[in-house]
Amino acid sequence: MKFEKKRANAKQEIPTASMPDIVFMLLLFFMVSTTLREVDVYVKYQLPEAKSIEKIENKRLVSYIWVGNDGRIQLNDAIVKVDEIQPLMYKKRVSLPNVIVSLRIDKNSEMGLVTDIQQELRKADARRINYSTLLKQ
Amino acid sequence: MAFKKRKIREAEIPSSSMADIAFLLLLFFLVSTTIDVDTGIGLTLPEYIPPEQQEFAPMSKDRMAALLINASGDVLLNNEQITVNQIKEKLKPRIISKINLPKKKKLVVSVKTDRKTNYNVYIQVLDQVKGAYFEVRNEYSRETYGRPFKDLNEEEQKDVRSKIPIIISIAEPEAVK
Repeated sequence: MKFEKKRANAKQEIPTASMPDIVFMLLLFFMVSTTLREVDVYVKYQLPEAKSIEKIENKRLVSYIWVGNDGRIQLNDAIVKVDEIQPLMYKKRVSLPNVIVSLRIDKNSEMGLVTDIQQELRKADARRINYSTLLKQ
Repeated sequence: MAFKKRKIREAEIPSSSMADIAFLLLLFFLVSTTIDVDTGIGLTLPEYIPPEQQEFAPMSKDRMAALLINASGDVLLNNEQITVNQIKEKLKPRIISKINLPKKKKLVVSVKTDRKTNYNVYIQVLDQVKGAYFEVRNEYSRETYGRPFKDLNEEEQKDVRSKIPIIISIAEPEAVK
């Protein structure tokens, strides 16, 4: 007795003609939703956690200040001293009047340093701030 | 003389590699993108006034909720020692009692810390204060409009915001006993 393999007659191919379209759609989504990483963070920090938090609606208005676990301060792309914050932030505020300063401060910092930074921000008249926190689960 | 019609050769752009190119671009954006949203506790700092121009503005005790945090993380609310987790429950009735008062009589929460206070404790306290305000806003929205605060339209949100404004004052630093 002869055995013959049964084979379907239909073509076995996945249509790939629309693949570029699909890929382009994905590409478009990422292009629109992306904000490029602009700076390298030189300090190590661990954010505190909180429950009653808000989102910053407009990312383009945000300017960042990092404070690491060793007490170093990074403003945008450079490590700065406390008294350098005021002139830098003032310049920023002139070019971007409603700037929001996002403070990414290590959770084991002391309030003395935080207060000093806040005083500098007040002097620079950049008064909208946001204490960056993670969502507490 | 007979003209021979020149045959037009088919002109095509090779499109088989388009998918590859698109994938490459896609990969680049996938890698470089940061989806993480900035979340945190928003605050507006008071205007800077040089010390010699500062005036002492008396404020009735009824309006003030003074939170003091010392270096070891103990919290004092109007001279009564409480734990961090109690702040929300203590503040809520006071915020609610002031919903219908004019703007000048709303509650002011003042937060004062020692220089040695841990930042995390400070954030927990602010979180509690904000939480109290958010809950009161939500309850008020539910009572008046039947929906939580985030589902209200802009006009209604503005109304609730003006009824229950979040006023947090960050005091000038000094040593706390």
